[in-house]
Amino acid sequence: MPEIREDLGAAHARAWLRLAAPGAWQTGAEKVAIAAEARAALDCPACAQRKAALSPEQPIQAHAGLSGLDTALVDLIHRIRTDADRLTPAWFARVVPSILSVERYVETVGIIAEVTAVDSFMTAMGMPLWPLPAPLAGKLTGVRPKAAKLAGAWVPTVAPEDISTDDPEPVQAMYRNRSAANIHRALSLVPEAVNGFFDLDDAMYLPDALLRKFEEEPRAITHAQIELLAARVSALNRCLY
Amino acid sequence: MLLRGSGQHAGQTYDDRFAIDAKTDSGVPHARVLLDFAEACSALSADLADRREAVRNTLGEAALVDAAATIAIFQAVVKIADATGIPLEDAKAEISAAFRADLDLDAFVAE
Repeated sequence: MPEIREDLGAAHARAWLRLAAPGAWQTGAEKVAIAAEARAALDCPACAQRKAALSPEQPIQAHAGLSGLDTALVDLIHRIRTDADRLTPAWFARVVPSILSVERYVETVGIIAEVTAVDSFMTAMGMPLWPLPAPLAGKLTGVRPKAAKLAGAWVPTVAPEDISTDDPEPVQAMYRNRSAANIHRALSLVPEAVNGFFDLDDAMYLPDALLRKFEEEPRAITHAQIELLAARVSALNRCLY
Repeated sequence: MLLRGSGQHAGQTYDDRFAIDAKTDSGVPHARVLLDFAEACSALSADLADRREAVRNTLGEAALVDAAATIAIFQAVVKIADATGIPLEDAKAEISAAFRADLDLDAFVAE
């Protein structure tokens, strides 16, 4: 078996614990079901059909869903997982809030992103995917930043300067040791999603503080090689950001 | 933009057209083997195992892990960006305007 950095393996394990636990707006069982659909999308004939279609709006066959989630929600999850570059504001307006609330949507995007990161790593390394975790029982946290507002993204976000001292810890933690870049703000309607995803990001990419410390090379590939890969993967995914 | 910063620090000029044209020689050491691996991972292509071994043989096991981790996290980052519709920050948009035009990257914007 390949030797994986200890901090990287630990970050993946924390991601799986987060996935199993109740979130801000969805239970552990709902979150694991979303993860199962995100995983299933890669082998879904309907997703392949849509990906090959000139327009993502072209009718497709039924998804090969396996979680028992509502079919509209399955479509949303599969589309984010396999055809995200063709999502549009018009699509977003059709699915939120008619299929799910904006808070659940943001949490769902975070779940898909974390599962994508961990699964893509295992696949890249030629290792078997981790089994999805058994859901944990418990209460939803319901943490929503008071100052969330629409500010250029499709979803409400929170700027660091709008966080107040009486916001709960997950809100306070969002920008700790992180810049206010829009990618950090993207999931900020659900602070646990920001904190979770960037816990993973720090281990898989680089912590924010090291991004421009070109004199330090904390990985086995250089800053230049890391950014080469980041740029190429972003372009292959047709992502401007 | 971080690649340019890295190049400036190293006194190198990297050719960032590799992002859209993988045949471009970026000037980054071992770029070819890394880009081939990234493309195989993204496409889940049949030659992924060969591309992985090429990275392992050229750069070593630890580098393979870090390359795989970088590729994997960016497969996820792009989904967050695309699914939330975040815009480029004004400052980044301004300083990257010429670069985006050169590479025709604005064609990636969702409408």
